[in-house]
Amino acid sequence: MPVSDLSRPGVIHDLGYRHFDGVREGTGTIARTLFVTGLRHVFGLGRSGKSKIMPFVLLAMSVLPALIVVGVVVLTGLDSLPVSYADYTNQTQLLVSLFAASQAPVLFSRDLRHRSIVLYLARPLPGAVFALVRWVSLTVALWLFMAVPTILLFAGAMLSGLDKSDQVTAVLKAVVLQALLAMMLAGIAGLISSVSLRRGFAVVGSVMALIVLAGVVTAVQAISADQDADSVSVAAGLFSPWTLYSGIADAWDAGIDELVPVDGAWPLAYVLVALLLVAGCLLGLVARFRKVGSR
Amino acid sequence: MMNTTIAKLALQALLGRRRFYLLLAFPVLLIGLVGLVTALADGDAAWEIVPGLGYTLVLPLVAILSTSSVLGPEVDDGSIVYLLSKPVSRYGIAISKWVVALGATLAAGSLPILVAALITGDSTRALALFVGAAVAGTTYSALFLAISAVTRHAVIASLMFVLIWESLLGNLFSGIAWLSISQWGIRIGHEISDQLPDPANLGWAIGASLVVTAVGVWFAGDRLRSFSLRGED
Repeated sequence: MPVSDLSRPGVIHDLGYRHFDGVREGTGTIARTLFVTGLRHVFGLGRSGKSKIMPFVLLAMSVLPALIVVGVVVLTGLDSLPVSYADYTNQTQLLVSLFAASQAPVLFSRDLRHRSIVLYLARPLPGAVFALVRWVSLTVALWLFMAVPTILLFAGAMLSGLDKSDQVTAVLKAVVLQALLAMMLAGIAGLISSVSLRRGFAVVGSVMALIVLAGVVTAVQAISADQDADSVSVAAGLFSPWTLYSGIADAWDAGIDELVPVDGAWPLAYVLVALLLVAGCLLGLVARFRKVGSR
Repeated sequence: MMNTTIAKLALQALLGRRRFYLLLAFPVLLIGLVGLVTALADGDAAWEIVPGLGYTLVLPLVAILSTSSVLGPEVDDGSIVYLLSKPVSRYGIAISKWVVALGATLAAGSLPILVAALITGDSTRALALFVGAAVAGTTYSALFLAISAVTRHAVIASLMFVLIWESLLGNLFSGIAWLSISQWGIRIGHEISDQLPDPANLGWAIGASLVVTAVGVWFAGDRLRSFSLRGED
């Protein structure tokens, strides 16, 4: 059997049926293709008709209130949106969390469960890069999921002639915050789905980490604010991605008002914890795929 | 109708390895949180958590987890055909699996709600919420068993029912109380303590819970009767 590429031994390129001596694309191209495929698969594109139902039903449900809001603004001639862009994402957090929980197993569980991961890793793409590319796919998909209603709201606000500079600032802040949130959600849901391979348990685990935990933290925040323990209330917000999001949005004046304002050095702590959370999830994912790839 | 061997196997599937810890995490989380808040603040502040978080979120999640553990994995890897090829009534299979899921839901969902509510002080309202949680847990487990016999995406479908229909839309439209399992349980608990709200008619709440439970288990058996294995989509 002719060996076409001695610089990368152990890589299956030439199966021996037919020789190929054209240009071989490098790791970058493989990663890019994998990213696009992953992004399509999150929304069920390129998969069976049934698997398109869930993502698009959730997307439709998160767009519908935005359409209603735009309709109200246009018909009644309000001079501002009744809900800010960042707060809209916060209000529909159940749908965003459910989208992350239901679609993360598509990218992170299936290859491991069916062992098709060995076929990916037989190509010149290291396990670590594979994990990171999958995470980028999910992050971008989640970000798009949140950005679609935001852009609709923005379009409605522009068409009904609201103040342009205010709206542009608010929408840009919301989009940046959503990107940070998408990174956290994708990291958490991805890590859980790559560890728990049974689809159902991955989903319940992600729901627990994203929805139940957010509920617990919000309850603790409300109770401690009620008991005048303000710093406890702000500190509790560090323990869930959603409260991190709303806390940073509160500090950055992006249209969400927390019960206790996040000020002083707290915003710095919030941002650092958010970044550490993302970094921790990425390390976990890389370690997981390295381990699976070496088996 | 009940088959002890199948029930025993279902119990083993439920208690196997990591699943058990996930199931155990919910009651520990709920009781720990309520205990902490009661110790730091007071019982009435902590009480808000029990119906708000424990009853509407933890109970249905425990029910989803236990019903999908008794039926889901077998449907997932196709090994259910070996069970279905045995000369056992499919309704018997459904009932045996439902009894195990029900036991787990009551033990890991309803009982912790009773304990958590007792920690907050008033034992009448704790008993009322426990009765509601027992009724709702029974109905939930039958409904989710029926869903897991129909679709491979049972967990997500059940979650959408609980989170979007009952929680999100239920908070917006009060009429959904007539079609919401958790509200039926609350209504039955209202008879014991009027600290719980009164969302619907008592006769309707009892009747609807009974009908959904009976039809859910029957429907799961009926789906198993005409079960066909499909590939993953």
